[in-house]
Amino acid sequence: MAYERIEVYSPHSLAEALELLSQKQEALRPIAGGTDVMVMIKDGVLKEKELLNLSYVPELNYIKETENKLLIGATTKYREIRRSPLVNAYTPILIEAVRQIGSPQIQNLGTIGGNLGTASPAGDSIPPLFVLNSTVKLQKLGGSREVQIDKFFLGPRKTVRQPDELITEISLEKMEPGSYYFFEKLGLRSANAISIVSAAGIIGLEKTTIKYLRLSLGAVAPTVIRATEAEEEATGKELNENLIHVVAKLASEATKPITDIRGTAEYRKKATYGIIYEALYKIMKGFGKKVEYGVENTG
Amino acid sequence: MITETIKKYNYINKSIPRIDSFDKVRGTLQYLTDIKLENALYAYTFRSKIAHGKINGIYTEDAEKVNGVKAVLTYKDIPALNGYGAIVPEIPVLAYDKVRYYGEPLALVAAETQEAAIEALSRIKVDITPLPVVHSIDEALEENAPKIHDKGNIARHTIVKKGDVEKARSSAYIVLERVYETPMQKHMFLEPEGGVAYIDEDGVLNVLAGGQTPYRDKIQISRVLGIPLEKIRVKNTPTGGAFGGKDDVTVQIHLALLAYKTKRPVKLVWSREESGIAGFHRTASKIKLRTSASKDGSLLSNEALIYLDSGAYQSFGPTILDVSIETINGPYRIPNYIIDANLVYTNNGIASAFRGFGAPESNFAIESMMNELADELKIDPIEIRLRNILKSGEVGPFNNTIRHAEGLEEALNRAKELFYRLDPSGPFQRTGVGIAVAIKGVGFGTLPEFPAAAIEIVPEGKVRIMFSNVDYGQGINTGNAQLVAEKLGIPISQIEVLHSDTKFSPDTGGSSASRSTFNGGGALLLACDKALEELKIEAASFFMTKSSDISYKDGNFYYKDKSISIYDVAKRLKARGKSTRFEATFEVPRYQEAVEGTLEVPHMVYMYGVIVTKVEVDELLGKIKPREVDFIADIGNVINPAIAAGQIEGGIIQGLGYSLIEELNYDMNGKPLNINYTTYPVPIISDMPFINAEFIKSYEELGPFGAKGVGEISIIPVGASVADAVADAIGKRSYKLPIVPWKII
Repeated sequence: MAYERIEVYSPHSLAEALELLSQKQEALRPIAGGTDVMVMIKDGVLKEKELLNLSYVPELNYIKETENKLLIGATTKYREIRRSPLVNAYTPILIEAVRQIGSPQIQNLGTIGGNLGTASPAGDSIPPLFVLNSTVKLQKLGGSREVQIDKFFLGPRKTVRQPDELITEISLEKMEPGSYYFFEKLGLRSANAISIVSAAGIIGLEKTTIKYLRLSLGAVAPTVIRATEAEEEATGKELNENLIHVVAKLASEATKPITDIRGTAEYRKKATYGIIYEALYKIMKGFGKKVEYGVENTG
Repeated sequence: MITETIKKYNYINKSIPRIDSFDKVRGTLQYLTDIKLENALYAYTFRSKIAHGKINGIYTEDAEKVNGVKAVLTYKDIPALNGYGAIVPEIPVLAYDKVRYYGEPLALVAAETQEAAIEALSRIKVDITPLPVVHSIDEALEENAPKIHDKGNIARHTIVKKGDVEKARSSAYIVLERVYETPMQKHMFLEPEGGVAYIDEDGVLNVLAGGQTPYRDKIQISRVLGIPLEKIRVKNTPTGGAFGGKDDVTVQIHLALLAYKTKRPVKLVWSREESGIAGFHRTASKIKLRTSASKDGSLLSNEALIYLDSGAYQSFGPTILDVSIETINGPYRIPNYIIDANLVYTNNGIASAFRGFGAPESNFAIESMMNELADELKIDPIEIRLRNILKSGEVGPFNNTIRHAEGLEEALNRAKELFYRLDPSGPFQRTGVGIAVAIKGVGFGTLPEFPAAAIEIVPEGKVRIMFSNVDYGQGINTGNAQLVAEKLGIPISQIEVLHSDTKFSPDTGGSSASRSTFNGGGALLLACDKALEELKIEAASFFMTKSSDISYKDGNFYYKDKSISIYDVAKRLKARGKSTRFEATFEVPRYQEAVEGTLEVPHMVYMYGVIVTKVEVDELLGKIKPREVDFIADIGNVINPAIAAGQIEGGIIQGLGYSLIEELNYDMNGKPLNINYTTYPVPIISDMPFINAEFIKSYEELGPFGAKGVGEISIIPVGASVADAVADAIGKRSYKLPIVPWKII
């Protein structure tokens, strides 16, 4: 209802964007797809009165690869990620999550950098980024730094980004061929729902022995978290029902959920157990999703 | 009796496409909130941010000074009665002494631009002393509860009884006592409340806004403005969804007031969030039920203590309470009962009509009770119902003689074939099957209804039909066109349906209570009779004979081997200066006397439905997935099977939302928490189970071509059947809707 006057700056290069940001700092809110910021404006809760529109900055929209990594520009849209042969080949777990984000309309506009910047604990692209050992690139006029994803978030809607910095790139580790993975989200309905609990996992198996397990959980703590104790417990062990129970229990214990209209804290703990148990059970039974580099690396 | 009356029809029992579907698909149908009037002012509502408080002052001087602002209205500007409400006009048009819910309107602004109007809104100041907020039925009933109205927190209390419950219960084999609760549900229609108003060259105040009952809107506007009914026109169709939420007045009086005061066209459309905050919702319920039965499952007594949360005012509360009373005994033979029914005030917005109108609330209680009795007595849940349903000709619990109960019996027998568990889809899935039966009266029970409708034979080759039932998406315009086509034997393409408009539609009443086919259709068929009678005389004059020698069939009048078309006869009539518009009134059959303690119980004509719901529950996640739903309905003769099935499916999916995910919540300050599609999720297409809708062959002689009604029947039993299916799957019964995952694991 509060339609206040808002100034929008639309730079046409990264240099121009960083320049504006260095001048204006806190006053300026970066915006790309606008799927969150526009709602905040409409609800009258956006504190900044000026927007830095990144839609016309060509340098921020790309998906590239290096030997071990994928590099994704911050304004790359979910739809572009879903359709990317590189992402399909090397980090299919991200596809699994992105296709469950909101509705097609949201996926057509929303960006991966935006999901990071908004920093909702229920952001669905984030759990996969945790298990992909990602780093976030923050650039400012005359410098840049890389932050590990598990150090990037400080709490709901809070990150380490400084007012003069811009999220420009996210880099992900390529998944190992033959590894198994899952992304599961639980919402009140089957699609277009905000997650009550979400979980991502990658598991490397040597026959039935677990070489490594990476697990992350969304919507059950102030930020997305890695379930490190569960991961350590699993390493080197046989994948069987008993181990799955122990891992799921440790993951559940790692959570610090809240009660809100989408679920009670107690339920989120139980559901964390359930979601991990069911996902690992499926992999154990041979029905899990497996990484196969079957795609031409053409980008 | 049935075989005698069902025959082959040409235009009914046919799934013809809806007559408005082409315009809707092409996006060319103009909804009332789409209307752009030249020179119109933009209107906004200033709402209370306090849920309960005493108003000390409303200060609008600063707002009035904003450039472009043409009006800032408060209660002081209301010419006559500051009140509306379908049953009791106790809802303030603009609050004056107290605010009783978060979002209650305090002032209206109209300005040349949206910006000016919003600026003015921000400059209105109010001084309100907050009072303690009443959040629930339980809080409202506490001894020292804050009083929302001077008379206290009970809006209506009534007791309806028969027989001797004490005696019956003491001799019973089994007595179960349970408490059932259902939530507030939002309508979530796609088109929010809104419309336009203007005064035309004849000085008539035109109000064009989405609604359900135009003639009652007119009366309510007239009372507030103190202007005669002839000076008001209300049009409230096409409307983008209503489900009861637009049956009482929403924006109509505000629009009328602004246009009347500014003498300018005005547009007022609520945002989605305003609709969430200040739009109506379904009554929450808390029902204590004690039911007794003999060893063979025969019901002996039923004791109900019903509480419905009316919110801050009554709107339709008193009649919703009546329907909850009528529903609590189900379609069953219950010789002894006592129903203590209470409508309770809280600070939770305003509850009003919502598809089912008190029936889903009570049905959840009685049908859950029936399922548990069957469990306890080890009787098949279908069998226990077959033993208790009333038969045709029997006198029911409310002294009404039952008509056509054989449809319900047939539906229950058919349900036996559909009552089975599905195979689980995975290792953590448990499947279950549940059942419930629904009964719902058509129309307003013992309240007198005299719907009028008109047809006009247009000599150029058209039959124009007029009635005031609103087509808000349910398809009444198509259904009524089919009835007239059948009656006159002319193709649908020759029938033109005028959208309900008090300017030319006779007062048929509104679209509510599953009544539009029965009442609107009934009146239209009488209008057809009148037309044929009159035209027959004219045809006789054409053939130089007497009218008793003239016959009519499929658009032509016949005399011996000669014929003349209905349109040519109309042309002759018109040439002689006579009208070719024929209007008739249908005196709806009803019981004259309401059962003591009620306003409108019982009804004469009931729809029936049996639902079988098959669910799958993930035992680790508590996630409930309805996989298949069967619904067997007795709605009388089916005018348009596709539209009727659409109504059944729509009611089921709305009922599944009510049963599983939907719940309107308020915070400790009485502020609503879920007010849009993000915060109030409703089921979407991927949540749809496979739905099998079947219709019993049935014919109700009192209805047009044997039709009853369809709109509400399917939503009513969904909750009890889902709870029953979940109990079957995981062994845990739920007594409170919605059954969200965290309540079952």
